[in-house]
Amino acid sequence: MAGPPRSWDAVVIGGGHNALVAAAYLARGGQRTLVLERRERLGGAADTSELGPGIRVPTLAHTVGRLRPSIQRDLGLGRHGLSLIAPEVRVFAPRADGGAVTLWSDVAVTVDGLRAVSSTDAAAYPVFDRRVRVLGRFLDELARSTPPDIASPGLGDAIAGLKLGRSFRGLGRDGARAILRVLPMAVADLVAESFESDALRAAIAWRGVRYGAVGPWSAGTASVLLMDGAGNDGGAAGETVFARGGPGALSDAVAAAARAAGAEIRLNAEVASITSRDGRAMGVVLEDGEEIPARSVVSGADPKRTLLGLLDPVALGPSLGWRAGNIRTPGVVAKVNLALRALPRFTAAVDDERLLHGRILVAPGIDPMERAFDSSKSGRWSESPVLEATIPSIVDPSLVDGAPPGTHVMSVIAQYAPYSLEASVGSWDDNREAFGDAIIEVLETVAPGIGALVTHRQILTPVDLEARFGLTGGHPMHVEPGLDAFYLWRPLLGHARYRLAIDGLYLCGSGAHPGGGITGRPGQNAAREILHDLGGRRRQTTH
Amino acid sequence: MPQRYDAVVIGGGHNGLISAAYLARAGLKTVVLEKRHVLGGAAVTEELFPGFRFSVFSYVVSLLRPEIIRELDLPRHGLDILPLDGTFTPLHEGEGRPAPIGPDGEKIGTGDYLWRVNDHGRTVRELRRWSKLDAEAYEEYGQLMVDMARFIKPILSIVPPDPASNDPRPLLPLAGLARSFQRLTERQQAVFVQLMTMSAADFLGQWFETDPLKATMSASGIIGTYQGVRSPGTAYVLLHHYMGEIDGAFRAWGIPKGGTGGISNAIASAARANGAEIRTEAAVARILTRGGRATGVALESGEEIAADAVLSSVDVRRTFIDLLEPGTVDDDFTAEVQRFKFRGSSGKVNLALDSLPSFTALRGEGEHLRGAISLSPSIDDMERAYDDAKYGHWSRKPYVDIVIPTLVDPTMAPPGKHVMSCFVQYAPYHLAEGLGTWDDNREAFGDAVINRIAEFAPDILEKILFRNVQTPLDIERTTGLTEGNIFQGELSLEQLFFSRPVPGWARFRTPVQDLWLCGSSTHPGGGIMGANGRIAAIELLKARGRKVA
Repeated sequence: MAGPPRSWDAVVIGGGHNALVAAAYLARGGQRTLVLERRERLGGAADTSELGPGIRVPTLAHTVGRLRPSIQRDLGLGRHGLSLIAPEVRVFAPRADGGAVTLWSDVAVTVDGLRAVSSTDAAAYPVFDRRVRVLGRFLDELARSTPPDIASPGLGDAIAGLKLGRSFRGLGRDGARAILRVLPMAVADLVAESFESDALRAAIAWRGVRYGAVGPWSAGTASVLLMDGAGNDGGAAGETVFARGGPGALSDAVAAAARAAGAEIRLNAEVASITSRDGRAMGVVLEDGEEIPARSVVSGADPKRTLLGLLDPVALGPSLGWRAGNIRTPGVVAKVNLALRALPRFTAAVDDERLLHGRILVAPGIDPMERAFDSSKSGRWSESPVLEATIPSIVDPSLVDGAPPGTHVMSVIAQYAPYSLEASVGSWDDNREAFGDAIIEVLETVAPGIGALVTHRQILTPVDLEARFGLTGGHPMHVEPGLDAFYLWRPLLGHARYRLAIDGLYLCGSGAHPGGGITGRPGQNAAREILHDLGGRRRQTTH
Repeated sequence: MPQRYDAVVIGGGHNGLISAAYLARAGLKTVVLEKRHVLGGAAVTEELFPGFRFSVFSYVVSLLRPEIIRELDLPRHGLDILPLDGTFTPLHEGEGRPAPIGPDGEKIGTGDYLWRVNDHGRTVRELRRWSKLDAEAYEEYGQLMVDMARFIKPILSIVPPDPASNDPRPLLPLAGLARSFQRLTERQQAVFVQLMTMSAADFLGQWFETDPLKATMSASGIIGTYQGVRSPGTAYVLLHHYMGEIDGAFRAWGIPKGGTGGISNAIASAARANGAEIRTEAAVARILTRGGRATGVALESGEEIAADAVLSSVDVRRTFIDLLEPGTVDDDFTAEVQRFKFRGSSGKVNLALDSLPSFTALRGEGEHLRGAISLSPSIDDMERAYDDAKYGHWSRKPYVDIVIPTLVDPTMAPPGKHVMSCFVQYAPYHLAEGLGTWDDNREAFGDAVINRIAEFAPDILEKILFRNVQTPLDIERTTGLTEGNIFQGELSLEQLFFSRPVPGWARFRTPVQDLWLCGSSTHPGGGIMGANGRIAAIELLKARGRKVA
């Protein structure tokens, strides 16, 4: 327990998973660390919430397979209660015609299934999977490292440095050439180079556009797909791993680790502003006026909110203010959580319930995905959105242990639902339920009768996500994961090294390299840099 | 024993002719082989209708490298570029701002337009009609883009390194670039990164709020690409089109006297003056190789021409898939060539007019007709045109860039008559199933373009004497440009610099000894720029230990 006001080495703004990871590492590094969470609960977007009596759902994110293994080890998350469930099925992509593409964790099993779809695709799949893993290993190196300081050595040397990098050479001549060609590509082109089946192309390409205001034909989406597989077992299929008790359980485990390491965590403590003097962060002020001085301020909030909402505009300066204002945060994802009185019956999975254990993807083809995106460009929600659903209660009954027998929860990521609706469409309050109905309609095409099973329905539009989680623009990735916010320039060129705008201010959330998702990487990398600046007693971070 | 040359150049387009001129200038016995009766490739002037001469394909120039004009002394060979002043963006009635009053105190149109001219002061005054903020931002933006173009210009003359090779020497020019990058302000550096990664619409949105201004400016971000103004990567193409504007006058777009064929003829004349031989109606059927070396070419007539070096100015797919015997290069390289994306997206409609059309937004034959006329009323309009094309349909309401050359060069048409050049996007080479071929769609597409123009200038319909519609298929058939791509391959990020045309083979050399690429498929890409042909020739001369005269 902390006593009355004292000076902290690090005060962390926000209790999301990255902020908690950073806090845990800082505390382990011997720094007196305080976490301030605005809400009554921890976890941010890695959250489990009550949908009805005895019914709990993943509020936003629903899988956690990208969490960096070294974080689990370093923080002993298993010891602190984290238990992971990895079903054999990664992706089940049913179509209205009763057909489906299924991607298993076992590549050989996937290939067997693909033979029915296309023999050439069946042959190409293992090659593509290997390629994704090879490039993913290099990108893992990229993701674990702090982007170089470009003031010196500079961009050209950064490229040369990359070129000389062990892992870059490890790619071999062709791999090295390939990755530079592939990263800026449109994911639709990438998958088309290997596969002929549109359904398979879509099932893989989805991860290139998930959470982004882009379609499969948008340049740079190939890099999102590859980053998604960096440093995890995703491969071509992508990870599908659940935390027992929902994503909130992961946050609780990290919080427990942080506390065990000596970090203090305060709930219902909303930061109103970051105090600074002579271009140096001095601490924070809470909504209730309480001042908390600290040697360093570590923001888990998104960079736009941090720079424009919490920092003094004078300290920020006009030029950086202009750039911060132009950080792109176009949220296009709505989250729909359903309680079902029984397990829905999918036409393409009648005889095999296992197919429903993984991510259920409703994205019939590349063009349907692109069309769903088109409507969002002009401020309209898609009438046939792309859906990524999970039914975690099948593999984790604890989520519904207080509910009537047979109850299941379904978690649905629905895209595209733009944050800003066109004037004629009205506000999200006018559209929330209509969009929810559209989603049920799409689900009905692959699981007839599912609508009748719904007992509870929660729809979180981008506007709701912004209000609930403080995500600017309702963007779950904090900053649009485009080529214009990648590595050296995420979130801003010259501020990609976790040090943000002024001395003593750090960014540790998804807005920092290597970006969003439940990975813990930005938090881990940021902690490493902060400990370096503070001169930590013990270094416990993994490199 | 066939006659022997030091170098044979396949294709008499501007790049092929430029390569030949530089090689001949250095004393190499050089011959250019052009399949058509006319030189210039996509930069040709042809009399499509009696008395009416057209720049059939490429129609304006700005990117032609000044060092080429200088070194080949092109003005002496007849190059004369007439300036195009301004860009006029007409809007539908009610989409604009209060109409300005004409000199005679009369309203001279509905005032629904945005008109930018070379006279900066006038343009800023016009922008104030729309937005004071934009008027201010316009100055700053213009300066910033000039800075950016100035910074990136050296890249145009760099031979891209192979990032995977262990030889550091080719990276040296990059180090130089890195140094000048560090000399930029942090803001300039950030803007440069945005230019390399953002969409034209997002990029411009950082400065401007006026929709027709953003739409018209963003248009140069999608020229020749199969991308929309909201597609990431199009901001780079924006910059690509700015390069020319810093040589000489700001926005130095112009049209060559006698049409774009005038450029080709000037270069050809320079090449001949340096001793190069140029043959037309000499279509190359095959590149001859022996033991993995190029030894010459065989013409369709059967004639064989032996040479120590073969330079191909035709695109990379024609060169390696059509002109080389299968098996000459390994499968990996062939696969990379097959992967190279063309997918032409542009069409051209050439009109012979009885008299000038009148735009409802600003009536009469004023100077607003003397520049470019851009049908780009809004970002959504531009994006919708792309959305049609994405799914294999030509744009129902296309983006059209109109130029009326006869207003600056009356020699192009009979007295009092006019020619109108309409560059159109989008016209996707690959049409959706069920739509048929381009031969089935040519006239419907032409109608769509003319109806689009008539939305803003209704009387155009009575003034058309003849029309000539160029679909991507026609462009491919006539010029040989694969899939009708005007840049010999899309200017998408993954096809630039050290990945253009094939990762590891961006240095104008190819896996076939003595076979070189010198066309727009190579760095730095397309447009009447000529850098490709010049650098390729210089690289070959260096490799031969010859002095670049």
